[in-house]
Amino acid sequence: MKVRFPLFLVLITGILGALPFLIPHSIAQNFDNEFRNSVLRIIGAFSLVLGVGSIIRHHLYKIQRQRENWEYSYILLISLIVSAIIGLFGGIDARGWLPTKIGNFSFDIQTLYSYITVPLGATMFAMLSFFMASAAYRAFRARTFEATLLLIAAFIMMLGSVPLSSYIFPKLPSFAEWILTVPNTAAKRGMGFGISLGTLATSLKIILGIERGWLGGTK
Amino acid sequence: MTNNEGNLHSSIWEKMTKIDRRVIYSLLLLVVVIPLIFPFKLRPKPMPPVEKLFNHIDTIPEDKCLVISVDYTPDTEAELHPMTIALLRHAFARRKKVGVLCISLLGLGLAQDALTTVSNEFNSRASNNTDSIIYGRDYVFWGWQQPPLVPILGMGENISKVFPVDYYGNKTDTLPMMKKIKNYNDVAILVSIAGSAVPFWYITYAQTSFGVRIGAGSTAVQAADFYPYLNSGQVTGMMSGMKGAAEYEQLVEERCNVFGRRKATDAMSSQTAAHIWIMITIIIGNIGYFVIRRRKK
Repeated sequence: MKVRFPLFLVLITGILGALPFLIPHSIAQNFDNEFRNSVLRIIGAFSLVLGVGSIIRHHLYKIQRQRENWEYSYILLISLIVSAIIGLFGGIDARGWLPTKIGNFSFDIQTLYSYITVPLGATMFAMLSFFMASAAYRAFRARTFEATLLLIAAFIMMLGSVPLSSYIFPKLPSFAEWILTVPNTAAKRGMGFGISLGTLATSLKIILGIERGWLGGTK
Repeated sequence: MTNNEGNLHSSIWEKMTKIDRRVIYSLLLLVVVIPLIFPFKLRPKPMPPVEKLFNHIDTIPEDKCLVISVDYTPDTEAELHPMTIALLRHAFARRKKVGVLCISLLGLGLAQDALTTVSNEFNSRASNNTDSIIYGRDYVFWGWQQPPLVPILGMGENISKVFPVDYYGNKTDTLPMMKKIKNYNDVAILVSIAGSAVPFWYITYAQTSFGVRIGAGSTAVQAADFYPYLNSGQVTGMMSGMKGAAEYEQLVEERCNVFGRRKATDAMSSQTAAHIWIMITIIIGNIGYFVIRRRKK
């Protein structure tokens, strides 16, 4: 039952999900709309509960066992609870029933987002540029013919993606655009066909119960 | 050449192939920060994909609207947020109706920020009600709905059904703009701005099933993935990376006479300097590599 029921569910939902794309009849379309708008949303809501529940459980467990960096779990849990309370009861811009302003100091959800989430996220991503610069310096060596081609393409793209190039070499941005439009598209299309066929095959294997890895390794 | 001189030279060449990463990082920091403080003006030349997107939005009929799907998160804000702002400036300047939604939960705050910033810009210059940008009449922020397939496919059927209430809790179908905007038939173009695969979902489901036109705004790294769709016409136009955003800002300023802070254009000097620095390090590394290789032979 533990295995058969999920397999049966996947088979049914997989078929129901695919059929409306093949059957334009209004019955199939209406059923699909209803299925999507009601059932999927309810499942989505459950996944939110599941996600929050699992993150709380994971970090409580980490604190209990004092695993590596367990102190940070406190920060995560406190941030989660505080921001949830402010977001749920304080409204988007301090118009909820929970007061989120003391004098000129406001801590509504948009303020928290703009002054905590945004800078933290931007900082993480900005650090990537340093790693990329260092990696580019080490990796881009013209060791072989292919590596030289890659290096030349990288130079053209790097120059082509800044406005300065149109001042130095007026045709370079168009050439960079050509690389993206012609050779890149040709390669991407080939890869796209391969990926799509692979996805289709894997999806069929999952729907038909041949591929069962998603069951968590149970027989 | 004596042995000592030879060793000295070879150590220089070797050093060129092994520059300490702290040096690379420090100089990169400088070349990024200095142009931000002392920017040098570079006028971006709009490329065809950006111009196509601009022209399509420019010619949106009165009974249709522009939909912006803010699908990026704070990590890609620097590259993608200027695109949303430029699109909103363009739409508001031309009095096009705008609907905004988010597929990514973390996009909500950024969408809210862009809408507030641009509507305030226009309203500060407005002299009467007609000039003003009014919520519900000129734009609607539908908010977030999940899972992604629900809004992407559901909007083809009925937008108000997918978003019964907007981001601020108003009933969507009571808003004046929504009296005319029912589903994808009333959407002239949907521009998905993302640092992820969301625009592909719009192409796969919304464009294929309902024929709605799709525009894309993506990070420079991801832009190459969209070109096959741009060539096939499945993507009407696109902005790639900060340069794409700067080009759109240029078009908005030139053709709509809308002036405001151009964050992407301002950052172009910094990006230019960073790219040049990275190219210099690559050249240095390769010179060292070739000299060492020749000597070994």
